[in-house]
Amino acid sequence: MTETFLYLIQQLINGLTIGSTYALIAIGYTMVYGIIGMINFAHGEIYMIGSYVTFIVIAGLLGMGMVSLPVILLVALIVAVVMASTYGWTVERVAYRPLRGSNRLIPLISAIGMSIFLQNFVVLAQGSRDVALPPQITGGWTFGDPSVFEVSFSYMQALIWFTTFATMTALTLFISKSRMGRACRACSEDLGMTNLLGVDTNRTIALTFIIGAALAAVAGLLLGLYYGVVNPFVGFIAGLKAFTAAVLGGIGSIPGAVLGGLILGVTEALTSAYFPSEYKDVVSFGLLVLILLFRPSGLLGKPEVEKV
Amino acid sequence: MHNNKLQSALFAAGITLVLACLMIGVKLDTESTTLAVRGATAEQWTWIGLGVTLVFLSQLFSNQIDTLFGKLPKPNVGGLLPKGQKMATLKPWLIAALLVGLVIWPFMVSRGSVDLATLTLIYIMLGLGLNIVVGLAGLLDLGFVAFYAVGAYTYALLSMYFGLSFWVCLPLSAGFAALFGFVLGFPVLRLRGDYLAIVTLGFGEIIRILLNNWTNVTNGPSGISGIAKPSLFGLEFTRRAKEEGGQTFHDFFGIAYSSSYKIIFLYLIAVVLVCFLIYLINRLMRMPIGRAWEALREDEIACRSLGLNRTAIKLSAFTLGASTAGFAGSFFAARQGFISPESFIFIESAIILAIVVLGGMGSQIGVILAAIVMTILPELAREFSEYRMLMFGLLMVLMMRWRPEGLVPMKRPHLELKQ
Amino acid sequence: MKTIKTTLKAVALAVMATTSLAHADTLKIGLAGPATGPVAQYGDMQKIGVMAAIDDINKAGGINGMQLEGVIYDDACDPKQAVAVANKIVNDGIQHVVGHLCSSSTEPASDIYEEEGILMITAASTSPSITEKGHQLIFRTIGLDSLQGTLAAEHIQNTVKPARLAVIHDKQQYGEGLATTVKNALDKAGTKAVLFEGVTAGDKDFSALIAKLKKANVDFVYYGGYHPELGLILRQSREKGFTAQFMGPEGVVNSDLAKIAGAASEGVLATAPKSFDQNPVNQARVDGIKAKGEDPTGPFVFTAYAAVELMKDAIVKTGGTDPEKMAEHIRANPLETAIGKVSYDQKGDLNESTFQVYTLHQDGSKTAVK
Repeated sequence: MTETFLYLIQQLINGLTIGSTYALIAIGYTMVYGIIGMINFAHGEIYMIGSYVTFIVIAGLLGMGMVSLPVILLVALIVAVVMASTYGWTVERVAYRPLRGSNRLIPLISAIGMSIFLQNFVVLAQGSRDVALPPQITGGWTFGDPSVFEVSFSYMQALIWFTTFATMTALTLFISKSRMGRACRACSEDLGMTNLLGVDTNRTIALTFIIGAALAAVAGLLLGLYYGVVNPFVGFIAGLKAFTAAVLGGIGSIPGAVLGGLILGVTEALTSAYFPSEYKDVVSFGLLVLILLFRPSGLLGKPEVEKV
Repeated sequence: MHNNKLQSALFAAGITLVLACLMIGVKLDTESTTLAVRGATAEQWTWIGLGVTLVFLSQLFSNQIDTLFGKLPKPNVGGLLPKGQKMATLKPWLIAALLVGLVIWPFMVSRGSVDLATLTLIYIMLGLGLNIVVGLAGLLDLGFVAFYAVGAYTYALLSMYFGLSFWVCLPLSAGFAALFGFVLGFPVLRLRGDYLAIVTLGFGEIIRILLNNWTNVTNGPSGISGIAKPSLFGLEFTRRAKEEGGQTFHDFFGIAYSSSYKIIFLYLIAVVLVCFLIYLINRLMRMPIGRAWEALREDEIACRSLGLNRTAIKLSAFTLGASTAGFAGSFFAARQGFISPESFIFIESAIILAIVVLGGMGSQIGVILAAIVMTILPELAREFSEYRMLMFGLLMVLMMRWRPEGLVPMKRPHLELKQ
Repeated sequence: MKTIKTTLKAVALAVMATTSLAHADTLKIGLAGPATGPVAQYGDMQKIGVMAAIDDINKAGGINGMQLEGVIYDDACDPKQAVAVANKIVNDGIQHVVGHLCSSSTEPASDIYEEEGILMITAASTSPSITEKGHQLIFRTIGLDSLQGTLAAEHIQNTVKPARLAVIHDKQQYGEGLATTVKNALDKAGTKAVLFEGVTAGDKDFSALIAKLKKANVDFVYYGGYHPELGLILRQSREKGFTAQFMGPEGVVNSDLAKIAGAASEGVLATAPKSFDQNPVNQARVDGIKAKGEDPTGPFVFTAYAAVELMKDAIVKTGGTDPEKMAEHIRANPLETAIGKVSYDQKGDLNESTFQVYTLHQDGSKTAVK
């Protein structure tokens, strides 16, 4: 195999890894948008909090002398998901529910305020410095001729791919098969009508926030382990990227968010691979604009029906 | 009922405790070489306890608090003014008094206040510009800072490479920003609502990154420093004239040099610019085009049925908003004397948007008030340094809860017929 | 009723008297830098140094009977806030400032100080353009980017002699400035960089960049920027089996680099101000800082300390606190400080180079390279 080809494979692996995590965060945006039509700007911060909780739990358990990695990771996952969901639920309850039914810009400003608040809350509680965790899962597969170009695919990357895929499948099943999932879908079709039919819409909306936050926490755990570093400002950047991914794929559509995330990740990696990497954000936003010009509702979004 | 209340209060307190415990109660220790956690100090636990109790009590007595909250006077600026005929005669006098006050005021206060007032006026300009786009035409723009950056860089670059003066560049900056608004607006304005929001957000980022990467022209991340300050008919406000034959303000009038002249001069320019903008936008709002913006915001389909060209209407709002930002940008560059891409990040757009929403979407007085609140509050809170941004965020949330319609809800200019 | 009034009056008078007394006996020194935001820890270093110097001077009886007081101003490393802070300092009547920290903040703020006749000594801003405007009242106790870059380039050219060199930077004023200096110096010396590229500060994923470096068979990377990004690049390089030698400026010399990169940070080269805390002359000062529970090892601690020493000496020698006279004195007279002998050229830059090449270790320590 030639060097060019192996290099391309390596960059695709890198891109799909980062893309999967964008996808996990993007689902939170897309579900909330699908149901109440608001951009939850504080979602990125929930992801950041998920990362922090993971670090705290892992450091705590290691400090207590726990050695079994699977147990540590499982406990960290559970605690992170519970904590992030609680944060997500509280944010909805405090900052968005009282504003329901008002002009759609009002919750948006409230969300930006919440995002600033949470970021600075973590700065005060945990400090603004980078917190680092030693690598927990090391090693990986390599293939290709070392004298030409060696492609590496680490266990951690494999874990990210696998977890993303498993989570997506579980979520899709939940949404399409379960009773609560059906309520979610009904709400995103028509909130008022669903309410009339006797579904507790407030509860369904709260559930959406909880699911979104839980997925963000999973992303927080995976990325926390992958990069080994977290600071209070990671949420904002990741949130912006994930939001872009959600719009790219068609906001409101879950498969769209996944597709958008993957495309965004691969675009970034390939831009860095073949052009100066400082232009990768320009290329990804440029791609977004282009796609929206030709498909104004994103790749998999439903065209909006104008009601008269 | 009472029992219910207690239950929900306990629940809220419990949630608060859970939320606080893992973030405040346990701290990642960054000092040691291996990652470790340590518990909070007794003082921090006391704070957590206090917070939990506070949440418990506020939930328990939420009804009473809500009643109290409802009794709180809402700012009613419109109500303070006399009504009807009386207003019509008083209005010119009031405006005149206000203008005189604005002009005299800087000579009586400290230099820091004047400088802060100038910054506030810049935000008022930005707020007024975005108000056209968001408040009047109902187009959600999250990348407004891009036009601000275009305006600032237009002046900085023209002044650096061609030595053009502030007064020449001011209209040029506005024009250039308008051109950018036009070029961007043309393809994207057919997008609806939130798609437009993300495209404008992306555009804002693209402009910033390009300014950062185009090092040969824009100096990249180092920014452009030593941007010339405006002059008064060729009189400079520096200690010594920059060029041979140039004259400085204090030489010309034969007074001692003081740097506060420059600060006050900048402030007065800002006042003039803001007044000009307010006048212009007020006129526009009364013109057919202004009516068309609002009509489009209220009901796009009805507008189209009435034969209005929605692209032209949206584009005019977008372009005008952009040119206002360009205006503000070139003034910002002149005041700051140094600009770099760091000054034009997304959070800036968010703050301008917050000004418009807090002001009451479309209302000019509201935007002015909100701009004052949003710039002066963080400065007042400077004493609390690290809690500053925390309170700022919290306040944005509370404001939206307390007064979602904005400080001064918009009133359409209209005439009432006397019976 | 009358007694209450009298008491109130007396109290008011007493309060006024004490405050005015306090004014006469203290000299406030402004300390401007980031107390919040992502680079707040560098602001801390500056604060530790300044406060230690102020404590030492006050314990020794102050300057001409005046006690010093440090007033902290937070600019969060944001140029816009830096201008606001500078105006506030002018407003508060403070005439002596140590700061700011980030070059992008120092740049606009220094213009204001110069105009207003305020003496400013920065302990950390290394961008050459700050002292290129002919300002009279602006000094620094740290070497220029260009000096640091030249030193790094010399070391790479003469000692490391890499076969394939890459220069990476973080697209910020500090990092890109340094990276450009290094690249140009090496170009002249005949070592061409195969790759010169920027990354986005705040990014977490550098796998694409690392694959690119690997493909280009790079064996030496110079990184212009701060430790959070370099730490991640090192860590991810190790995971991906990319084993080039790395080198960075003083912005990466921070024990956090070792925390982020772990074993991958062993052997990284860096240029940094000499470790003044290792100098036996400073033993008492180091002990004093440690006694307060603070860390004396940061690269800006003693440059900040020296800034206060320069101010003190100028006040003592000129017999007053007039900034213009003090500036003239500082420019004309070399002084022995915590960072060694300090003398200035016309622009306000140090004549002495304070930089040295170090090897960093995974426990956060560093050793000088001979």
